[in-house]
Amino acid sequence: MANPSVTRPSRPGWVAITSGVIAVVGVGVAGLLLGAAGIDRSQVVAALLDALPLIEVEHGLSEIHLNVLFQIRAPRVVLGGMVGAILAVGGASYQGVFRNPLADPYLLGVAAGAGLGATVAFAASGNAGFLAPFAFVGGMVAVAITYSLGRSVGGRTTTSLILAGVAVAAFATAIQTFILQRNSETLRQVYSWILGQLVTVGWGDVLGLLPYALVASVVMLASRRMLDVLSIGDEEASALGVNVVRFRWVVVIAATLATAAAVSVSGLIGFVGIIVPHTIRLLFGVSYRVIVPLSLLFGAAFLMAADIVARTVVAPAELPIGVVTAFFGAPFFVMVLRSMRRPG
Amino acid sequence: MKRTALIAVLVVAACSPSDAGATTTTDNPATTTPAQITTTAAPATSTTTEEGFPVSVEADNGSVTIEARPQAIISLSSTATEMLFEIGAGPQVVAVDDQSNYPAEAPMTDLSGFTPNLEAILSYEPDLVVITFDPGELIAGLETADIPVLSYTAAFTIDDVYRQIEALGTATGNVESAIEVNESIQTDLEDIVVVSGDSGEGVTYYHEIDALLYTATSSTFFGQIYGLFGMANIADAADEDGYAFGYPQLSEEYVVASDPNIIFLANVLYGESSETVAARPGWSVMTAVKDGDVAELDSDVASRWGPRIVEFAQSIADALGRYKEG
Amino acid sequence: MILWEEISVTYGATRVLGPLSLGVEDGEWLGLIGPNGAGKSTLLKTALGAVEYEGTVSLANTRRRPGLDIAWMPQRPQMPEEMSVADYVLLGRTPHVGYLGSESETDLESVETALRKLNMIEFASRPLGTLSGGEAQRAVLARALAQEAPVLLLDEPTASLDIGHALEVLEVLDELRRTEGLTVVTAVHDLTLAGRFADRLVLLGDGIVRGDGTPSEVLTEDLLRAHYGRGVRVINDEDGPTVVPKRSND
Repeated sequence: MANPSVTRPSRPGWVAITSGVIAVVGVGVAGLLLGAAGIDRSQVVAALLDALPLIEVEHGLSEIHLNVLFQIRAPRVVLGGMVGAILAVGGASYQGVFRNPLADPYLLGVAAGAGLGATVAFAASGNAGFLAPFAFVGGMVAVAITYSLGRSVGGRTTTSLILAGVAVAAFATAIQTFILQRNSETLRQVYSWILGQLVTVGWGDVLGLLPYALVASVVMLASRRMLDVLSIGDEEASALGVNVVRFRWVVVIAATLATAAAVSVSGLIGFVGIIVPHTIRLLFGVSYRVIVPLSLLFGAAFLMAADIVARTVVAPAELPIGVVTAFFGAPFFVMVLRSMRRPG
Repeated sequence: MKRTALIAVLVVAACSPSDAGATTTTDNPATTTPAQITTTAAPATSTTTEEGFPVSVEADNGSVTIEARPQAIISLSSTATEMLFEIGAGPQVVAVDDQSNYPAEAPMTDLSGFTPNLEAILSYEPDLVVITFDPGELIAGLETADIPVLSYTAAFTIDDVYRQIEALGTATGNVESAIEVNESIQTDLEDIVVVSGDSGEGVTYYHEIDALLYTATSSTFFGQIYGLFGMANIADAADEDGYAFGYPQLSEEYVVASDPNIIFLANVLYGESSETVAARPGWSVMTAVKDGDVAELDSDVASRWGPRIVEFAQSIADALGRYKEG
Repeated sequence: MILWEEISVTYGATRVLGPLSLGVEDGEWLGLIGPNGAGKSTLLKTALGAVEYEGTVSLANTRRRPGLDIAWMPQRPQMPEEMSVADYVLLGRTPHVGYLGSESETDLESVETALRKLNMIEFASRPLGTLSGGEAQRAVLARALAQEAPVLLLDEPTASLDIGHALEVLEVLDELRRTEGLTVVTAVHDLTLAGRFADRLVLLGDGIVRGDGTPSEVLTEDLLRAHYGRGVRVINDEDGPTVVPKRSND
């Protein structure tokens, strides 16, 4: 008698998921094939196949090229995918918990805090040794301050949190500028870090980021239904039994942890957190059940693609990846917007 | 009387303008052979009346007139500080900026060359200020206070070094000394290159400015010095059209795949060393790392364009020597 | 059942509700009437815990289970424009599904049942932004019904509905009340309609109870004029009291 197919909730369709997986795999493989070292592509394919268990193929790569492929290029591709996934899903989650389509994972000050941490690390030690932990701690502390400020000032509303985030970011940036002024020799290093870089990464960085990426992905995927519930407002969501404050706290913590970890490895890569979830929203649907999983997939693919551009288009020189994401992300977004113009 | 006139004539002759076009180190530095260093020490850009003041000196901020021999010089440029002390103007210097750490006897203060405070500078009552960077209002401010200021930005060629030293010699009344310094720099550079022979011919190198793989191509100032030895810079392919102004950021896999014969680290001050380089993922298979051809340069020497470019050239020669030994 | 004891709500320096005490029996339909600003919505919100109040509110189940004990239909709901009606009504099943779970067949069936009862099944895949005022209101009500809670608090459930749809909706509620034993509290502007369906009316004026009794007892010309500030005419016949507006020059 009942026909539940009519009422089945939004899901990402097979088309969407498949294209997401294809995008990730396709761009990933392209990333392994392309690069400034000029390694012969067929040899790369052979070497990749040879690396699989139970398969032995002659690849003919020199020790140096083999090294470049597996110790430099491969971890960079993987890390690019992980960072892209984290930033995209972080952006989607922030957009959900703050009901703000302009939210990005840097909203609560994690970017400014990480930037300040990085600056302090550079200025204090003169090198990049303490960069990652300082940036991470800086990002987390900034968000913690934002949270306590927002709660004490404006109660539990999202507006107060966002405003607190703006204030904290402005303050952190001011301190950062002050420190840079007094330690001008660190200017170039901080600036290039700020533009985002995946330049000197290895498997160690990948393993270091992995737990954060996993935690964030699991938490966000588990929360995607609740993010839809939040879209009707805090009051109504509470009336439906959702502990709004605690849910928001959990999502923000998970997203911020992962974002701070990503930033500490790769610097501030912008646009991914806004462009990817938004584009998915336009192309595939507005439910977070759709947006969250697809953001993970397409975020990874997007950043891996941007990284390919960053390291091949002016090879053997590099473009900072933050420049690439801005350069290619913005017009792409405009294109999608225009093609999806709704009637009426 | 006669002897004074004779000396005066000799000095004037030595100070007369010569053909400034006889320098060679700007074209195709990678293929420049050692024999092409030529004499450029003859002053080309200043006019004097006998040996006295006032003089008019050329700087990046134009022609500057200095009324009397300065006795209270402030240097806000670490390179200029080295030059001043080398030409014997040390006793005339009252304050140098917080980055001027060489020579040791230079009177280092809290003055900043990057965020200069006009009042702080004026409190030393200088009669000449030498700078390398004006964030906006410094030169204008000093001119308003009627204090001569000479601005010398980074040298593009070795020739620029001689010019700046000579100009400072004129400005501080140490003309002869400046000429001698220039001559000795030239001679020393020639000697170093001659001694190394053709050991640098075709040797590939990578000059690292920071751990994000920023480097200098052979068209840059320091790149030209490498060029004196005939060495080949792997970064040249990365900035062929000059968009990076000689300082591109290299792709890591390119650096490793190029497998340069020698790696030079200009960022030792920032914690890099042959150990940290060897620890970078993927770098340990590079020949230079395996054979121990990672040369740690003195960070100051590798970033200033003063008299210590001789030391820089010597570091290169030493590295070449070690490389040839295997 | 709901029991409000010595409730008062203050916004800043102004007391907007109370002190008042009120009780609703299981299965009873209570109509809250009163002029704008009398405190009807606020009273409903105290039962939800959505506003801070002094006093006590007790429900049948002493262990509060938000969403399962009470279904609330807000007066001004936030409706995301691009969400489909089906997804929106499905939100009503949130208290049953919990944080980590996902919807079961039972949940989907509740949604379908609710939509059918309100004649909204053809709108299931329509985005909320494309609905008319009346359709949207029925979608909100469907969401509340999908919750399957024993108590329904409905704030102006028929405000945007034409007379035909309004009667339909109220009759559905009445039937549900009888078959499922639901307790219903509605805040309604239409006094006659309120009187037709509610067992009991409570008139709120300036935050306190001004009248409490059967519709015939509460819908009197004197009481209404005293608290609405305008004279009305009340016609009593076998169907119950009918409130007729009276113009100044009648």
